[in-house]
Amino acid sequence: MKALTANRLIDGDVVFWKAGKWVERFGDADLFDDPGAAEAAEGQAKSQPTVVIDPYLIDLMESDGLWAPLSYRERIRALGPTNHPSHGKQAEGGEVIEALLHADGAARSSGRVNLIKRK
Amino acid sequence: MPTLIRRQDDDQFILGDDPFTAVADDEGLPPGDVIISFARFQAEGDRLLAEGRAVGVRLEPAEEVEALAYDLPRIAVVALAFPKYRDGRAYTAARLLRQRFAYAGEVRAVGEVLREQAGFMVRCGFDAFAPADGASPQDWAHAVHRHRHVYQRAADLRTPAYVEREGG
Amino acid sequence: MYQYDAVDQEFVADRAREFREQVARRLSGELSEDQFKTLRLMNGLYLQLHAYMLRIAIPYGSLNARQMRRLAHIGRTYDRGYGHFTTRQNLQFHWIKLRDAPDILDQLAEVDMHAIQTSGNCIRNVTSDPYAGATAEELDDPRVWSEAIRQWSSLHPEFSFLPRKFKIAITAAPNDRTAAKVHDIGLMIRRGRDGQLGFEVIVGGGLGRTPYVGPTIAEFLPANRLFSYLEAILRVYNRHGRRDNIYKARIKILVAALGAEEFARQVAEEWAKIGPEGDLPDTELARIRGAFATTVFEALPATSEVFETAKAADPALARFARNNLRPHKKPGYTIVEVSLKTIGDTPGDATSDQMDVIADLAERYGQDDIRVTHEQNLVLPHVRLDDVPEVFAQLQATGLASANVNLISDIIACPGLDYCALANARAIPVAQQIAQTFADPDRAEAIGELKIKISGCINACGHHHVGHIGILGVDKKGEEFYQLTLGGSGAEDAAVGKMLGPALPYDKVAAAIDTLVEVYLRERHEGERFLDTYRRTGVEPFKEAVYADAH
Ligand code: SF4
Repeated sequence: MKALTANRLIDGDVVFWKAGKWVERFGDADLFDDPGAAEAAEGQAKSQPTVVIDPYLIDLMESDGLWAPLSYRERIRALGPTNHPSHGKQAEGGEVIEALLHADGAARSSGRVNLIKRK
Repeated sequence: MPTLIRRQDDDQFILGDDPFTAVADDEGLPPGDVIISFARFQAEGDRLLAEGRAVGVRLEPAEEVEALAYDLPRIAVVALAFPKYRDGRAYTAARLLRQRFAYAGEVRAVGEVLREQAGFMVRCGFDAFAPADGASPQDWAHAVHRHRHVYQRAADLRTPAYVEREGG
Repeated sequence: MYQYDAVDQEFVADRAREFREQVARRLSGELSEDQFKTLRLMNGLYLQLHAYMLRIAIPYGSLNARQMRRLAHIGRTYDRGYGHFTTRQNLQFHWIKLRDAPDILDQLAEVDMHAIQTSGNCIRNVTSDPYAGATAEELDDPRVWSEAIRQWSSLHPEFSFLPRKFKIAITAAPNDRTAAKVHDIGLMIRRGRDGQLGFEVIVGGGLGRTPYVGPTIAEFLPANRLFSYLEAILRVYNRHGRRDNIYKARIKILVAALGAEEFARQVAEEWAKIGPEGDLPDTELARIRGAFATTVFEALPATSEVFETAKAADPALARFARNNLRPHKKPGYTIVEVSLKTIGDTPGDATSDQMDVIADLAERYGQDDIRVTHEQNLVLPHVRLDDVPEVFAQLQATGLASANVNLISDIIACPGLDYCALANARAIPVAQQIAQTFADPDRAEAIGELKIKISGCINACGHHHVGHIGILGVDKKGEEFYQLTLGGSGAEDAAVGKMLGPALPYDKVAAAIDTLVEVYLRERHEGERFLDTYRRTGVEPFKEAVYADAH
C-alpha cells in the first residue's frame, strides 16, 4: 500500500494526495494498492510545481488495523515532532493518529534517497 | 547577429551586437571574429591574429587566468565559463583580470548565467553577459542597481561603505 | 552593541526587498523550485519536515532588548510561540510559511537584523566570544573584528559561491568559547612582544564527516593586515577547493590535501600580491569600535552585601551563583549565563514569553545587552551583583533558572529527525532522557563539567565530535541507533572524540551515559574533569563497563 505526499509550496505544510487535490491529514489521503495508479498520481502531482514541492510516494504498513507510513521519518512528518506533542498534525488526536503513534520498527528512509540534495 | 547584454561606462545596460562566434575545439573556424579555448589559442592564436581577426579566449574555471597574462594585450574578449552558476571560480578570474592584470578588454560571462548573479559579476569586472534565463537588460540593471551600498572594494570601482561613510 | 548607520540599514532593507521579489517570482511559477531553492537558502530559508525553517543571523551572538522582543513577536505571530537558538549563535524558527517570509525579513530589517548568509556556500555568520566586552580575559574586544568581518563578507562579490559553506570564529580570550579550532578559520587575538595586536590564524578545522582540529598557518598576523589575509585565504580556497564532491569541498580537505605548510605558502604568496590594498582602513575599524554603544560601569565594591545575604538565605540562588555566574572585568558586576537547558525541555528552545523576559532583564539590569552562546544558552553579560537576586527571581518565574551551565544536563542537541530533513535519528528526546537521568542537581554538581553533544546525522550540527561525550544518530536497518564518542573538546584544548564501540539503540543511550559517568566517578583523581580522567585512563575502562552492561 502506498500514499502520495509532498510539502505545500506556500506554507511548507505536509500534505497528502486525495483525488487530484492535497489534504493535510494522512487519515484523509488516498491509499493506493495498485502501483500503476500510484505512479499515475505521482506524475500528475509533479505537474503542479506551483502548488507543491517534490511529491513522492511512501510505503505504508498496517498498525492497529489501520494504515501508517512504514518509515519513521514519514510518521514524524504525518504526526509532528516528538518533542512537542501539541505541534503538528498529532495535536488533533483520533484513531489514525493513534495508529501512527503505535506503528514501529520499520525503515526510516524507505523510498527517499539522496537526502542531502533536498535540504 | 546574436546579442549580448553589455554594461556601458555609465553603468547602464543595453542589448549589444555580438560580432564573435564561439567555436568549440572540434569545430572548423568560420571567418570573422572568434572565441576559442585557451588550448586552441595557444596552437592557432598567432595565425588568427595575423589574419587580422579579433580573437577571444574562453577560460574554463579550472584554467588559471595567470596563464593568459602574457597574451592579454592581444585578446579582445576573455569569456569566463560558468558550467554551473554555483561554480564561483570565474569571479576570482574576473577580478584578477581587471585588478591584477589591468585587462581593459571585454570580460564576458558565459554558461549558466542568471540574473541573480548580475550584481556579483559586475562587481568583479564582467561587462558582457550571455544570460541563460532570458533576462533582459532591464532585468540586469534592476539586479545590479538593487543594492544602494556595497561593503567591499572590488573591480567595479564602486565606493565601498567605509569610504562612503567618510563622506568620500 | 554595534549601532547600524543608514548604510547598514539600507543594505539590509534592499536585501529584504530583493527576497520579496524572488518569492513572488517563485509563486508565479517564473522560478522553478530548483532555482528558487538556492535563493531562499541565501536568506536562510530551508524546507524541513513539517514546514519551512528560517534561520536568522545573530551576528557574533549579540543582540539587544528591542531585537529580542522582535524575535519574540515573530515567534508569536508566524511560528508557534517559540524559537530555537543554534550552535552557531543564530536563531531558527521551525514553522515558517513561505508567504510570511518576506514580511518577517522586513520586520527583522526594522530592528537591524537579517537572515543574510545563514545558509549557502558563502561566508556565514561569524562566531565570537559571548563574554566579549565583559570578561577580563580578553586582549581586545572581538566584536569589533567580528562586525568588520560581517560587513566585509556581506554579499562579497568574489566569495559568495564558494565550494562549500565557510565559517569563521574569533576569540580574544585564552578560554576559547567559540570552538575556533574546528572552524574553517579560527582567529585568536594575540599580543606581540612589542605590544602590537595580531591574530593567530587557524585554518581548516571542522566537523562533519571528516573532523579536523585546524592547524595554525600564521602565528602572528598584524591586526591591521587581517582583511588582505582573509582575502588571500578565501581566494586560494575559491580557486582550489574541490567542487566535484560535496563531502570533500570544505577548506579542511584542501588544507589536509596540500598540507598546512604548502597551504600557508600559497596563502602567503597570494597575500603578498594583494598587499595593503586589501585591508580595511584604520579609520573604519575605529568607526566600528565607536559604533559599539559605550557601556558605562558604576564604581562598585567587589562584593555585594545584598547578593551575599540573599545567597546565604537561598540555596537555590547559591547553586545558581556557583554554576551560572562568571567573573566580570569590573568589580561589583557579573556575567549571568541563562541556561536554555531546563530539564525536560528542548535544548536551545526559548518561548516568546521567555524571550520577552530576557529582553526586560537586559534592559533593566543588563545594559541592554544579550548574547547567545554556541552551547545554545543566553548570556546577560553585564549584571550588577546587587541585581542578581532579582534577575534570578525573574528567571525562576519564567522557567529559565536552571543552574546547570557546563554540567551534564547542559547538552547541545541539533533538531534531529523531529524537524530536520537530513536526519538519521532524533537528537532532542535523547538529550531529554539524559537530562532526566541527571536531574538531581547535587549529583550533577558532583560530576562537574561534562559536555554532551548530540547530532542527528554526520553533518554534526550538534558538534558531537567535540563533546566530552559525543552522540551521533545513525540509521541501522531503519532504526535509530547512536554512536558514542569520548574525549572530544571544542575549547582551547580541542580534540576530536574517539569512538567507544558499536552503536547503541535509542532506549539504551541514557543508561550508557550513566555507566560512563559511574566509571568516571570511580576512576577520577582529585580535581579531574570527565575529560581529564578519560585522557589519563584512555577508553578501556569506559568501554568495558558500557558493553558489559549491554550484554
Ligand atoms: S546534524 Fe544532521 S540532523 Fe542535526 S541539524 Fe544538522 S543536518 Fe540536521
